[in-house]
Amino acid sequence: MEIEKGKTYKYLREKREVSQAAKDNLKQFIKIKKSILDALQESDLTIEQLTQKLNMPANEVVYYLMSLVKYGFVQTGAVDDMDAYFSYKLKK
Amino acid sequence: MHGKIMNASFDALVIGGGIAGGEAALNLANNGFKVLIVEKDLSIGGKMILLSKVFPTLDCSACITTPKVSEISRHPGITIFTGSEVKSISRKSETSFEAVVIKTPRYVIGEDCTGCQLCEQACPVLVHDQFQYNLVGRKAAYIPFSIASPRVAAIDIENCTLCGACEKVCPTKCIDFTQEEEEYCIDVKTVIIATGFNLFDPLKIPRYGYGTYKNIITSMQMERQLAPTRPFNTILRPGDGKVPDRIAYVLCTGSRDMTVGNPICSQICCMYSIKQAQLLMGALPMADVTIYYINIRSFGKGFEEFYDQAKGMGVNFVKGKIGKITENENGNLNLRYEDINENVVRESEHDLVVLSVGVLPNTDSKALFHDGDLKLDPFSFVDQADPLASPSKTSIDGVFVAGTATGPMDIPDSILSAGASSAEAISYLNRRL
Repeated sequence: MEIEKGKTYKYLREKREVSQAAKDNLKQFIKIKKSILDALQESDLTIEQLTQKLNMPANEVVYYLMSLVKYGFVQTGAVDDMDAYFSYKLKK
Repeated sequence: MHGKIMNASFDALVIGGGIAGGEAALNLANNGFKVLIVEKDLSIGGKMILLSKVFPTLDCSACITTPKVSEISRHPGITIFTGSEVKSISRKSETSFEAVVIKTPRYVIGEDCTGCQLCEQACPVLVHDQFQYNLVGRKAAYIPFSIASPRVAAIDIENCTLCGACEKVCPTKCIDFTQEEEEYCIDVKTVIIATGFNLFDPLKIPRYGYGTYKNIITSMQMERQLAPTRPFNTILRPGDGKVPDRIAYVLCTGSRDMTVGNPICSQICCMYSIKQAQLLMGALPMADVTIYYINIRSFGKGFEEFYDQAKGMGVNFVKGKIGKITENENGNLNLRYEDINENVVRESEHDLVVLSVGVLPNTDSKALFHDGDLKLDPFSFVDQADPLASPSKTSIDGVFVAGTATGPMDIPDSILSAGASSAEAISYLNRRL
């Protein structure tokens, strides 16, 4: 096949099958990202509040939320009175 | 799946682009020799480039490593293969070796990549970031880390869904999914093994609960949390995002422990834990930090003073061997330990536990040599044939060893070892040229 610069992914698609695990991982991330961003749309939340709202294990919320902070979707807000938990908000 | 097989020749092959391999390569290149560094990771700099600060001076690790890796990368006498592995080395003649090197595709044309990270932003995939020790995610199209050298994107093809988003946004059209694995046959006159060390995997001690209890982390994960390029905005428990205020260090995790097959001291854990404790007291002034130890080994220049400084800052040192760690409902951890001074068993509660994991040998280099037997010492580090008179000499003539490939040591000793190794390699080359 003719390989067009800027569209070489089509070439590899012909030669290599994307694994089911990679597809499942992408689906899961899209779903979790949407649920976190939707929850933060309503108000700033702590990890504990997000955990309850999304019914997800707290360690998974930390992982995904911090990844969304890293990629600029979410930003860290204020810390609570006990200096224990930060709140998180959408990056506008 | 091989692309082309290419031939090349160099005076020296340095296996490993960490601080020892980089230093050895620089010394050789500064003396006019042509050097190839083969690094299996996507960046040179080894483990040092990922550290927060170094002990006992508390100098910024990246500030020392970055100029060094930049000098290595720009040196006209040094060629670097990242994402590559030496597959085999065989003696070709009395004065030369043939090395087979496999270069895995990065799927990015390095020379054209500007490191703009637009591909990373466009990539929809999120997987664990191995350079942040899995504390956060990274994309399948990614720059390994912000101070990586080369600062060139790479595609994690195992996790890539081939959606093409990265290619569509790349301003220089440098993403190239047609790249294939390349095999190189390389003639070299001498070899330096600088393959570094592996960190102990604490999953091998189930009673410590690492992996099960999410608020138990390794010292390398804490190192990342303390680094300027840290995964979180501050120090947080990965289990629930709480700012910890009672932190425990468990020294000798996987060192001096026959039950896990590693009877020797890792030499660096006491001091890096004391360093981290001091940094934590700076980052979290209200936190209590306790270090559980068997013996504190502060043997180097300025180490004892550094230990005293930590005690003066309020770090609590408990001579105790941890038996078991269990988790409370609130995610806090109970440490059951033998108080060695009092001869009693005690329990204490902490909200974050850091396992100070030890140094294990990287035995990969053993299998590389087809003709000569590369001897390992009783602990599986590369054996030093003549440790007093010629500390870099191995069991194979013309093959030298540098840094922690010979055994556990700290950064200054690794650099000294690399200096010795390059000096011996230069002497060897001069005798044979």
